[in-house]
Amino acid sequence: MEEVDKILIHALKQIGTDVSEEISSINQFSSELIVKAVVRCIQVINPGLGSPLPSSLPPAMSARFRVGMSLAQACQELGYKGEIGYQTFLYSSELEIRSLLMFLVEKLPRESSEASDQPTGKSVVLQRAIAAAIKAQLSVPWLPMNCRLPLHTETQSAGPLHSFHTLPLSLPYSSTGLGDKYEKEEKEYQRDFLLPVTAQISHQPSMVASILEHHTTVLSAVQQWDNEWNSQGLLSRLTPQEYRARKMARLRKRIKEQLRSNAHPSPEGSFRSSHSSNDLSEVLQMFKSPSSSDHILTKGTHFTHTQKFTFEQEPAAVTSPVPTGRQSDGDVQQRQQAEIESLQQQLQQLCTEIEQLTTDMKHMSVTHTQVLNEIKQKELMNKETEDKIQVKKKTLDFLPDSDNSLQKLQAQVEASAARLVNLASQWEKHRAPLIEEHRRLKEKCSNQELESSRKLSEIKSMQEKIRVATEEARKKEDIHKQLVTQLENLPKDVSRSAYTQRILEIVSNIKKQKEEINKILSDTRELQKEINSLTGKLDRTFAVTDELVFKDAKKDESVRKSYKYLAALHDNCNQLIQTIEETGTILREIRDLEEQIETENSNKTVANLERILEDYKAIRQENSVLAAKIKEG
Amino acid sequence: MATIETQLMLSVGLIEKDANGDTLWVWCYPSVDSNLRQVLLSKCCLTQQGRDFHTFVFGQFCGTWYYITTVEVQESTPLKKVTHFSIALTAKDFNPEKYAALSRILCRMYIKHGSPVKMMEAYLTVLIKGICQSDENGSFLIKDYDVRKAYLAGSIKDVVSQFGMETIILYTAVMLKKRIVVHHPRIEALLEFTRVLPALSWHRKDWSILHPYVDLNDTEVEDLQKCPGYIAGFVEPEVVNRPELFDVYVNLPDSVIKVSQNAKEAMSMGKLHKEVGHLIVQSSEDPEKSDSQVIKDLSLKTKDILANLVALAETCEDSKITLEGLKKHHFPAATENFLFHLAAAEQLLRI
Repeated sequence: MEEVDKILIHALKQIGTDVSEEISSINQFSSELIVKAVVRCIQVINPGLGSPLPSSLPPAMSARFRVGMSLAQACQELGYKGEIGYQTFLYSSELEIRSLLMFLVEKLPRESSEASDQPTGKSVVLQRAIAAAIKAQLSVPWLPMNCRLPLHTETQSAGPLHSFHTLPLSLPYSSTGLGDKYEKEEKEYQRDFLLPVTAQISHQPSMVASILEHHTTVLSAVQQWDNEWNSQGLLSRLTPQEYRARKMARLRKRIKEQLRSNAHPSPEGSFRSSHSSNDLSEVLQMFKSPSSSDHILTKGTHFTHTQKFTFEQEPAAVTSPVPTGRQSDGDVQQRQQAEIESLQQQLQQLCTEIEQLTTDMKHMSVTHTQVLNEIKQKELMNKETEDKIQVKKKTLDFLPDSDNSLQKLQAQVEASAARLVNLASQWEKHRAPLIEEHRRLKEKCSNQELESSRKLSEIKSMQEKIRVATEEARKKEDIHKQLVTQLENLPKDVSRSAYTQRILEIVSNIKKQKEEINKILSDTRELQKEINSLTGKLDRTFAVTDELVFKDAKKDESVRKSYKYLAALHDNCNQLIQTIEETGTILREIRDLEEQIETENSNKTVANLERILEDYKAIRQENSVLAAKIKEG
Repeated sequence: MATIETQLMLSVGLIEKDANGDTLWVWCYPSVDSNLRQVLLSKCCLTQQGRDFHTFVFGQFCGTWYYITTVEVQESTPLKKVTHFSIALTAKDFNPEKYAALSRILCRMYIKHGSPVKMMEAYLTVLIKGICQSDENGSFLIKDYDVRKAYLAGSIKDVVSQFGMETIILYTAVMLKKRIVVHHPRIEALLEFTRVLPALSWHRKDWSILHPYVDLNDTEVEDLQKCPGYIAGFVEPEVVNRPELFDVYVNLPDSVIKVSQNAKEAMSMGKLHKEVGHLIVQSSEDPEKSDSQVIKDLSLKTKDILANLVALAETCEDSKITLEGLKKHHFPAATENFLFHLAAAEQLLRI
């Protein structure tokens, strides 16, 4: 019980009740203290209910009575289910007070802890601090220049503002991401001549920005490289340098191809209005040196952009300039007519020329194919004749001595055939093992590839596991830090461990008791069963014996006697049993009565009665005084 | 002469595919230059992953005919670790049946003995004597395989039944020595179809214009373009995007013949063509006539036309035709055009 009292007293102290240090348990509470505590609780729980209540017990009896009633009512409104009235406060009993105070302390509103649920990492804490600082600054009202205090100049003038501008930095460890060795000269330079970062920047405000940017670039480059290496680099089974070299070559090729395809002007581009094709090619064409054909072509294209272009009928003559000048109409007309005629003549001429040329071209192409065919045929025939001549020449040499040479030739042919076969078998002896070797090595290679791909997948799974484990470790560290800070922030006056220990002890005790109770219950049941069975056995045995003996009793005198004895025995034993049962019941009643006496004793009934009598006398006196006052006035 | 015939055989090569999935050129006699070797490796169906298995393919490259027979190796042979192999024969002449028979014999020898030495012996015997003992039915004699039989082995009736009157386009193209490109995704169908087309101009008996199996890579296309007129077969459908390669495009699976723009003018057809077309169609529809008879009929008609042309040439000076000379005879425009181009093809035109 002491712990409960301690908790209650502590809680009451926390809400502002003035409890002196010596009071350590509820039964030491006086009525005034009780009233004070209850009033304070009600005020904290529900200020509306609590305001009309006085904060201490008035001396006058009737006032006290009234206060007690209103307190009881307030408590009932709050929801207290137990029996409560003015007597609870004026003539208190420990149990009732304890339960009432516990109810009220439970009802006290809890303090909300600040965002203890969200995980706070370092960055979140930092962000919160930044947000708080900005809020504070924003809450300060803006003042015009003349009224500003020094406090405000930092945040309200334009001085500290700078745009985010970065400058390049040179740092020794960051130039190559793989930690390559540096040359001696580089090391010397870095040691002796390279300025520290703060000195490298001439524009001071950009320093922070530059450092941030540099750091982020290096970090992201390393991260990107890691990602790429882990996903694709390992798969390609090259060393990192080889992988990088290959990647660079690939990118270069792509860039080259892109440039090539964009710079190469499409062949039809000059004859169509090329909106879609590249402006670069148009520009390049414009820069071409104007040779005569190009000149005409470009003029033609300018022309074509304004009219539909038909290949056969735009002679260059059309681009000759038409004279512009304001002269008399008739002259102009005539001149124009003459020009039109000459131009038309020219047109006709050129058309006929073109037709002629086209027919010529057709003829030429046909004859061209014919000539090509002839050439090809002649070439083939040439070759054949050459071969035939060779053979015939050789046979001519042999002709004088034909039979002999024929035989010799045949022998030679057979000999060469045999030699060839011989050579072939020798070659086979060399070739077969080589091919075998080749195949065997290939098999080995593919097996190794299987092995290495398996290992690669293992590596990947390991990396996954590592990643997951680091994440979890980080999270747990964060939570740990957060909980440690929370622990530090908690009030140290109440030791929770004692309470938790006690609670756990009580729990285990209760468990043990429950076990024992269960045991006892089962024992009792066993006993009861035994009793039942024995009683039953007894009855049966007696009935049997009774019959048996009774049957013989009619004949024999001694049997009759024994029968009488048997009956008497049975009755006496029954009586004994009954007495025992009654004794047991009476013992139980004694126990119950003892308990009741104890509870009544703690009620302090006698003291309370005396007080009630005194108070009653005091009230009667007051009543009489008041009556007398009324009578007088 | 047998000797001239054997001089036509150029080389024999062996390509093996092993259990590692590699396809290697393992042996050849006497020698094959590296370009041709590359081409043969690519034509042999063992190199590409998703290719189906073709027992026998043939084609032409740089004036050399190649014949590739592929065989799958069964379990119980001396050839361990080899899953398939191909024998590539190169020769100067077109005779698929002859070289197919020869390769079969060589394949069987290779499987039985597991070493190319025996194969080479057989090859040499054929080279020297023109005859070779085969394990199974009798022997292989070169002179059994006449080149005319090879020329006539294709079926012109199938062509006509597939294209009907449009066969006349093919006839015109072949007569005028134009460039015909045929496409079919299956190589066997391609080979079957294209080998019969040069028979449309039987009087020339020139099968060197036939390139039945060409792939769309630079080497082969370059080699193809050295000939002014050809009949080329492509397995890849992308060839339709290369209009510079053909004057007539034949899509075999869809049975569509397309004449390209720049050749339309030269290939204009008129009454004469209609006549010839009818003749071809009628001839093939006759169930009594065999393929060679159809070809014979067609060649007779061709001979007529050529005889006329020659007669025309005689009338002009130095027996060469000119366009003006043709115009004097007032033929209808299409016929005049055709005769003009035909004269060029037959080298009767004055240059």
